[in-house]
Amino acid sequence: MTATWRAIRATVRRRRVQTFVIGLVVLVSAATATVALTLISAASRPFDRSFDAQHGAHLVLVLDATKAPAVQPPVDRSAGVQAVAGPFPRAVLNLPADSSDAVGLGALTVVGRADPGGPVDRLDLWAGRWATAPGEIVLNAAPSDAESGPGRLGARIEVPGRSALTIVGRAYSVSQTADAWVPPDQIVALGPTTAQVLYRFADADTPAAVAAHASAVTDGLPQGALLGSQSWLTVRQAVAAGPGAYIPFLTTFGLLGLAVAILIIGNVVSGAVVSGFRHIGVLKALGFTPRQVVLVYISIALLPAMVATVLGTGLGYLVARSVLSDAFSGSGFGGNVGVAWWVPVVVLVAVPAVVVVAALVPAARAYRLSAAEAISAGSARRAGRCLGVQRWLSGTRLPRAVSLGLGQPFARPARTALTLAAVVLGVATVVFAGGLAATVSRYAEVSDVNNAAPIAMRPGNPAFGQVAPELDAAQTEALLRALPGVAHLSVSTVVPVTIAGQTRTMSGGFLRGDTDAGLAGMIVEGRWLRGEDEIVVPTAVLNERGFGVGEDVALQFGGRIRKVSIVGATLSSGVGSADFFAGWQTLDALAPGYQLPSSDLFYQIEQTPGTDVADLVRRVNAATPGLYAWDNRGTNSFSSSVLSLSITLSVLLGLVAALGVLNTVLLTVRERRRDLGILKSIGMRPSQVVTMTVVSMAALGIFGGILGTPLGVLAHRLIVPLTARAAQIDTPGFLLNVWDVPVVLLLPLAGLVIATIGALLPARSAARLPIGQVLRSE
Amino acid sequence: MPLEGDESGQIVSLTDLCKEFPDGTRALSGVSLHIRPGEAVAVMGPSGCGKSTLLNLVAGVDRPTSGSVVVHDEDLSQLNETGLALFRRRRIGMVFQFFNLLEDLPALDNVALAGQLAGVPTAQARQRARERLTELGVGDRADAYPATLSGGERQRVAVARALMNEPALLLADEPTGALDSASGAQVADLLLALNQRGQTLLLVTHDQMLAERVATRVVELADGAIIGERVLEQTA
Ligand SMILES: Nc1ncnc2c1ncn2[C@@H]1O[C@H](COP(=O)(O)OP(=O)(O)O)[C@@H](O)[C@H]1O
Ligand SMILES: [Mg+2]
Repeated sequence: MTATWRAIRATVRRRRVQTFVIGLVVLVSAATATVALTLISAASRPFDRSFDAQHGAHLVLVLDATKAPAVQPPVDRSAGVQAVAGPFPRAVLNLPADSSDAVGLGALTVVGRADPGGPVDRLDLWAGRWATAPGEIVLNAAPSDAESGPGRLGARIEVPGRSALTIVGRAYSVSQTADAWVPPDQIVALGPTTAQVLYRFADADTPAAVAAHASAVTDGLPQGALLGSQSWLTVRQAVAAGPGAYIPFLTTFGLLGLAVAILIIGNVVSGAVVSGFRHIGVLKALGFTPRQVVLVYISIALLPAMVATVLGTGLGYLVARSVLSDAFSGSGFGGNVGVAWWVPVVVLVAVPAVVVVAALVPAARAYRLSAAEAISAGSARRAGRCLGVQRWLSGTRLPRAVSLGLGQPFARPARTALTLAAVVLGVATVVFAGGLAATVSRYAEVSDVNNAAPIAMRPGNPAFGQVAPELDAAQTEALLRALPGVAHLSVSTVVPVTIAGQTRTMSGGFLRGDTDAGLAGMIVEGRWLRGEDEIVVPTAVLNERGFGVGEDVALQFGGRIRKVSIVGATLSSGVGSADFFAGWQTLDALAPGYQLPSSDLFYQIEQTPGTDVADLVRRVNAATPGLYAWDNRGTNSFSSSVLSLSITLSVLLGLVAALGVLNTVLLTVRERRRDLGILKSIGMRPSQVVTMTVVSMAALGIFGGILGTPLGVLAHRLIVPLTARAAQIDTPGFLLNVWDVPVVLLLPLAGLVIATIGALLPARSAARLPIGQVLRSE
Repeated sequence: MPLEGDESGQIVSLTDLCKEFPDGTRALSGVSLHIRPGEAVAVMGPSGCGKSTLLNLVAGVDRPTSGSVVVHDEDLSQLNETGLALFRRRRIGMVFQFFNLLEDLPALDNVALAGQLAGVPTAQARQRARERLTELGVGDRADAYPATLSGGERQRVAVARALMNEPALLLADEPTGALDSASGAQVADLLLALNQRGQTLLLVTHDQMLAERVATRVVELADGAIIGERVLEQTA
């Protein structure tokens, strides 16, 4: 054992460069794999996991309290019912504007529950305590909304005609069964007219299954008792349309990263073992058993790989955590998305395993080789393959150094294939990542109305301890327009309205000013607003409500009805944005004399070219008290996280691909030392040696680039629309056409650059090889 | 075959050559040697006495620690790596104990390569290579790959490559060292014939038979220094 150990140490020491390259490749690969696996785990159905953890309600029935029985329905396991909760009394409070600074205005669904637990919909009470006394209320909010969401603890909600409620806790229901909860005694005081019953089923994965269960459990209800029902699939859909939209992108990235890492490790390790054959012969001649020889050869790869795996996993963990930490905040997944414990464990076990497997193949050959065979396999090397190609090349008019270089990849087809695969995957990944980054940033740019302009501001709200505005809306507008450096100004507000024939309210986004400044680009069908009584609706809302562009609908607000036509469809911005957009004239027509709370106004300005945004923000804030402006660029933290993820992974994968190429060149140069010596002895110039070596790899690089570029573009073309469809987003051309023709033609150069950089250093050292020494020792 | 030398009539002038390797090994200490055009000089001595080192210095494959190497009017110390490559290309041919053919190229292309590197167009280089191989009796093996050739055949191909650019000086390092005695004798005959047609030869060997048969002059080397010299009559 000590002899083996000594041989291992001597071998590792003698091959410093090789050891270093193995270490570096494994380090970067382990980091990439960690980030990739984290992505996959974080992106894989976070909603489902939270839902299961909470024993979420697959079906919520809303019943007429006067007609439905007030007793809990039986748990009929033979019919697939797993658990039932309720009936819980339910009331919908209509909160007027300014009834509380802690919740938004509009409808608030309140349910009476004695505790947050139970067989179904176990709430995550993450702040404060449960409401137990009259006058106490717990609001529904995700932990990730701790800063911004509704329900500041201790705040009061004025309910018209009833006594005020105090917020004592914040709880999260993944099933979204209510906006708030009060104790059972309290709900009576709020005059509940409905009740809710929550069901969990054994099998509820498809709409058909949920519908079948729904009809089974509502079968015996009296006529008119069922007012409505909500499937968990609807809730899941809403989440999927938001941050969930990025999940397939992230998964694709993760899989690509894993594939590239495994390929390169295989390439590097098997190359290291093959190049050590001569040494194997010497060891065998010294009396090492085949077993010991295999041990030596696996160890020379495994030792540096182990150290590198530990370092790389740590690095990957840090990268993954910092990138993820804000990526999923505000996603509604309950904030429980992080680096899963199994990810580092899997990487720490799997990466060395890949190394061992990659080393075993050539090591098995070393096991069988006799000492003499191994020595000659290492020195008088076998002729290469595809010799006809070399022959043909040597007859061409190309400079001999170039034709020799071009022939080299053909002599070692297996290694060439591995390197090529690495370059192809590297280039495809870089291309896909670049395209994805471009799409994500365009999507973020156009989909969020709040991000349309670089500077945003709201009048102060005294309830938040801010100064009330001194100026009214018209004065504020005039002031802003007069400020130097302001190019465009728009004002918007969100007002809840209903559509005749539909019960759920819609958030109407009303706009005035230079409203098409950043928004006209959102249109995917029809056109942007031109005049009164027109609205533009996000595609997701259109799909959900069954409207189409060109149809007329009747908007309803406080008793007034106004007919408007849907003139265009916009990209959905997912959760939390307006359900439609309309001009300010439409609001004036629908609600003449409506007094908007000034703090509900939202101003956005775009600066003139050359104006410093930070400086303009400062000047706006100084211009008048009670107007709070901020730099609104890049506030879409989720898409910026996806962006930084894309960039991080692209860089990592590009680096791994370049290292793989570097390693191949190192091995080739080592293997071709004798040939290089011969060529130099018959008068090949150092510059020709460099040319030959670089050409041999550049050919691979260009070829890999030519194969990898369309692959990356194709992956982008296929995966982006697929994802978007899953998220009910249309993908207009401008989201997909992120590459110009010249750019696509230039992309294969990425492969060339990777390969040339990888080849240059070893090529120069090849040119300096001392001939006498090489030819003497071989 | 070129016969011209420099003004002093020498084709190789080695003066006070010393070579010490970075690890401290002193391979040559104070060697001076002059070779006239048309001579066939054999450097002999036991293994490790510095023969190959000497040959490498003459070929510009290695540089001396001190002393000067002038070959065919060129002071090798004045040349950079590229200059040395061009010098090898035009002025000398090298033959080694282990042939040193490129395994990926057939015999013909191995020989033609030397011409192509020197700028001869491909078709012409192949034509000339074929002539060289025929002259050396391996014309029928032109399309064979080195791995399929016998040792003697390989060495003939190597000699053909060395002669491709009509070098002023042919250097051979143990050219028979890896051959059986019959093949060795054939290679010796070949070198003798070349010399008799005017080719200047510098060969390094511890093969007494080869030296006796080919050399016009034998230089005895021991421990990096010349200890004796004798002039021979060629036997054929
Ligand atoms: N590159 C080198 N580094 C260190 N020592 C060397 C090197 N090349 C040759 N030597 C040493 O120099 C001496 C002469 O070597 P060499 O010229 O090859 O001898 P010969 O060809 O006469 O057998 C030997 O002791 C050898 O070990
Ligand atoms: Mg020698």
